[in-house]
Amino acid sequence: MDFTSLYEVAWLVPLLPLISFLIVGFFGKRFKDKGGMVAIGLVGAAMVLSLIIAYGALTGNLPSEGYFETSIEWVVLGSGFAFELGIYIDTLTAVMLIVVSFVATLVVIYSIGYMHEEGERRRRYFTEISLFVGVMLGLVLANNFLELFIFWELVGLCSYLLIGFWFERPSAASAAKKAFLVTRIGDVMFMIGLIIVFNLFGSLTYTDVFNEVAMANVDQTWLMWGLFFMFGGAIGKSAQFPLHDWLPDAMEGPTTVSALIHAATMVKAGVYLVARMFPLLVFNGAVNGPNVLIFIACIGGVTAFIAATMALNSPNIKRVLAYSTISQLGYMFLALGTGGYLLSQGEIESGGLGYSAGMFHLMNHAFFKALLFLSAGAVIHLVATEEMRKMGGLRKYMPITSLVMLIGALSIAGIPPFSGFWSKDEILASVFEAGSMNGVFMLLYVLGIATAFMTAFYMFRMWFMTFTGPEGEATKTVAERSSHGHDAHEHKKGRFSEHTPKVMTVPLILLAVLAIFSGMAALFFFGDTFYGVVYFDEPNHETALELLESIFTHALTYLSILVAVAGILLAYFAYYKNKIDVKAIANKPAVKPLYDMLLARYGFTKGYNWIGEKAVYGFSLVLDKFDRFIIDGLINGIGKVCMKTGKGLRKVQTGFVQTYAGVVVGGAVVMMLLMYLLMTVLGVDLSP
Amino acid sequence: MVDYTAITPEIVLALFALAVPALGMVMRSSKVLAAFSLVGVALTGLSVWMITDGYSGPVAFQDFVVVEEFSLLFMYIFLAVAFYVILASAVYVKDDKHKPEYYSLILMATVGMLFVASASDLFALFVGIELTSMSSYALVAFKKKDVKSAEAATKYLIIGGLSSGFSLFGISLMYGFTGTTSFSGINDYLSTLGAENIEMVWLAMIMIVVGFGFKISMVPFHMWAPDVYEGAPTPITAMLAAGSKKMGFVAMFKFFLIGLIAIKADWQLLMAVMAVVTMTAGNLIALNQTSMKRMLAYSSIAQAGYILMVIPVATDYALAGGLFQILTHAFMKGGAFIIVATLAVAAVGDKISDYKGLAKRTPFLAIAMTLFMLSLAGIPPLAGFASKFFLFSAPIEAMGGGNDWLMWLAVAGILNSALSLFYYVRVIKYMLVEKGETEEKLKLPMSMMAAVAICLVAVIVMGVYPEPFYQACLDAAKSFFTFLA
Repeated sequence: MDFTSLYEVAWLVPLLPLISFLIVGFFGKRFKDKGGMVAIGLVGAAMVLSLIIAYGALTGNLPSEGYFETSIEWVVLGSGFAFELGIYIDTLTAVMLIVVSFVATLVVIYSIGYMHEEGERRRRYFTEISLFVGVMLGLVLANNFLELFIFWELVGLCSYLLIGFWFERPSAASAAKKAFLVTRIGDVMFMIGLIIVFNLFGSLTYTDVFNEVAMANVDQTWLMWGLFFMFGGAIGKSAQFPLHDWLPDAMEGPTTVSALIHAATMVKAGVYLVARMFPLLVFNGAVNGPNVLIFIACIGGVTAFIAATMALNSPNIKRVLAYSTISQLGYMFLALGTGGYLLSQGEIESGGLGYSAGMFHLMNHAFFKALLFLSAGAVIHLVATEEMRKMGGLRKYMPITSLVMLIGALSIAGIPPFSGFWSKDEILASVFEAGSMNGVFMLLYVLGIATAFMTAFYMFRMWFMTFTGPEGEATKTVAERSSHGHDAHEHKKGRFSEHTPKVMTVPLILLAVLAIFSGMAALFFFGDTFYGVVYFDEPNHETALELLESIFTHALTYLSILVAVAGILLAYFAYYKNKIDVKAIANKPAVKPLYDMLLARYGFTKGYNWIGEKAVYGFSLVLDKFDRFIIDGLINGIGKVCMKTGKGLRKVQTGFVQTYAGVVVGGAVVMMLLMYLLMTVLGVDLSP
Repeated sequence: MVDYTAITPEIVLALFALAVPALGMVMRSSKVLAAFSLVGVALTGLSVWMITDGYSGPVAFQDFVVVEEFSLLFMYIFLAVAFYVILASAVYVKDDKHKPEYYSLILMATVGMLFVASASDLFALFVGIELTSMSSYALVAFKKKDVKSAEAATKYLIIGGLSSGFSLFGISLMYGFTGTTSFSGINDYLSTLGAENIEMVWLAMIMIVVGFGFKISMVPFHMWAPDVYEGAPTPITAMLAAGSKKMGFVAMFKFFLIGLIAIKADWQLLMAVMAVVTMTAGNLIALNQTSMKRMLAYSSIAQAGYILMVIPVATDYALAGGLFQILTHAFMKGGAFIIVATLAVAAVGDKISDYKGLAKRTPFLAIAMTLFMLSLAGIPPLAGFASKFFLFSAPIEAMGGGNDWLMWLAVAGILNSALSLFYYVRVIKYMLVEKGETEEKLKLPMSMMAAVAICLVAVIVMGVYPEPFYQACLDAAKSFFTFLA
């Protein structure tokens, strides 16, 4: 089959959801379902096209350079530089296309049921979600960093709109704002990085930048800074330490939006960015020392650990999932940083494994996290609370949900053969490998193993608290409702328990199937192992059987399984058997401060607020007052004395003008002094 | 035979400025007067077009006017601003007795701007600036029964007069020192000058900068701006922000990049400091404003800081970025001010909190305002992003040869634009997110909506497809350095 003609029309992939954005935006009111079917149709069409393109790219039907590219000129700068709008398809794009388009389509379908009660507002919802999906697909397909950045900003904007969807809740509005503004800190760094890279290469197009000759010709120290700043963008977008704090708050949006943000769009963009700039990172790492790569690995490892600790005692079901996302994203960065480090040190095979493990985890995570979020959404709607302490014993009322959520939990905990196991194991294996070359990675490996343990623990803590044990107050109301069959809440209960409409159960079941089997892609992925297909360079790798053998003959594999099982067992005894008195431990004087610190998210939330409100606004207030009052006050004070002598002065408010005039004269003097100071006293010499 | 080609646009527009009050004697309809003024602007545009069409090189008039691509670009900008200001004014002044004078003054102010655009001589430049200033003093005072307007005009007049005095004194010093007022002449003289007596030139320079800095609201000569922007009739605020201010930049560019380029090393650092101080102060103070107009005024000050970057960087690439920023700013800031004016017509207050729930009351204006705010903050794919991207990459491009410190200018610019997002988002939040007290639809005049729509289209088109606009700016910048120096 000739895929090239299909690649030529790949621009349709982002365009279809954007068309849906326009149709639903302008005419949504006329549809009975407020545009839901239009969105499904067009997003679904984009998915079909994406999957075919991805199939082509992943089965080796790419041009011999390993990528397909087409573009039109967008802006030509005078000196021969041009910015392009274009399409770039390689195996990385293909994996992202699968993940984004597939999860997005399922989420949109699920939304038909989930958002059913929102009435007129569904138009806004489907408009925004179409835009969200469209720009994310555009981001993935871009052929240069500027185009990527533009879509990147739009993704941020869409998430701002969607997180604030229920804007009548003040918490939602402020969470949306926080998400937008905190990620902007990262975006600023990204932009600085882009400007540096552009200045070095004179282009931001991937094919120009990834050119070996061009890479060798640029100043490597500057390139290092450029990459460092670009990674800053990923830190913000993917909620990595220390810019992680917006993601838990972003739970204020509809759960479907959370599912999309966490599984397929927003936060994955950061991981994608790092994977995309991988050739630069590796080259720079090999020539100039792997500082940036080690930094990426460290940020990833530390974030994975810190976020996992915060999930340990969180009482809120969605928050637990949010922390787990941050933590799993940390794993992905850890994998990419480690893989890049190994590659830059000449360890081609294990380095490539690290890289592909990161992308593999991204894919698996997309499926099981979407599954977890969507089922958590079903739970929340049934019990009308997010507090896990008020739930308990829900398994009786929602057997399917509890089952699929169990699958998700097993997968994220890393129990074989569920998907999370395969990718997490590969990540930890490559970190361990790097550990033999650099001690930092040994430490990161320990953090990674500890995180694996905590992950298994908190996921099962969540599952046991929600679905088993004595019925909490919220569960009791549900029980009452279902026993008196005819009260007002009846249909609500019916929708989300086992009478859940097919539009909601089918996506859940599909995702559950993938959460079990997508891990097997490590072995069988389009006719080869995931590594063999996805890694962009070296074809030398293990076959499925060798891989299986090397995984299960390696002692460390059993260590990671062991800690996962230990975590589950701990949760089992603490929250199912109640053999361990958690409350008593938490209240011990030695543990209490730690416990509270975790609940307060290590004080990051407060810190941000302090910086935002006190420091910046305070400073601004001072300046404003200075501008308006202090100088005025001085002069007005003098004016007041004058006023006592002549009432006429009161009519003309000359105080202000005198002040301004004074500042003008003073300003001229200050400028003169400054100039004199700079030029004569400090002796600054700028002449070349 | 004197060739008047270079000043035809000014002549045409001045004639219309004189004819409007005459027409006002017989026709009292604001719409007719506005339409007549618009015809004047359009005909002037046509005469500019006649110079542009088949452009083969600079056209000069006597020794003090040179029309080349840079001037042409600005003439178009000034005429576009005049066009939408008049459009937005048609309803705004419809019940005023003095509306003929109002239009006449707008046209006269524009004539001054056109002169500045093509002046090649310090004194011609000064006369152009004064013509605009005098007209705008009267325009700011136009609602003379309104205390705020009258007070603002008084302040504007006094501070403006003071600054002009400074400038004039500086010009006379400069003339006394160099024996010429032509920019290239000054530069020729300075390039042969050694280090002796250079402090004298500095003094003259700084005095001139006070006057120009007043126009562009450079910190610390900015204090009049928020008061005047707040007090002036809003279409006039738009004119000050989008027109008169840009005129100040033209003056700055010509003065520094042509007249003083020989002693660049002397003022480069000073102007870099001024740029960073201006953008930072503007953004920080804007954070705390509760009045929409004051907030926009401070944001204008911040934008002036960004554009000031061009001067220390002093390359054609930087100038092109600056020009493009000026172009986009004229539309996004102008559009925002016109929305404020439009809403004022419908009796919506000037407080940012008065904009609560605007999305329900006037969806079009709310969306337009959202896009203007996002564009000002530099979110792609809107015009503000494109222009900031070009502008901020200029210092990076100019690095090397002892100029590595210029990178900090770009960093300051980017950090500042991130900071600015805070107050822009607040407006969006009020309009789209918060619930208003009423959901009653607003009845708004069509001509003002049209003016908003023009700005909106410009902001989107220049963001999505900046190429032709940027190219024009780059040509203008190249021409600026080639023909005027």
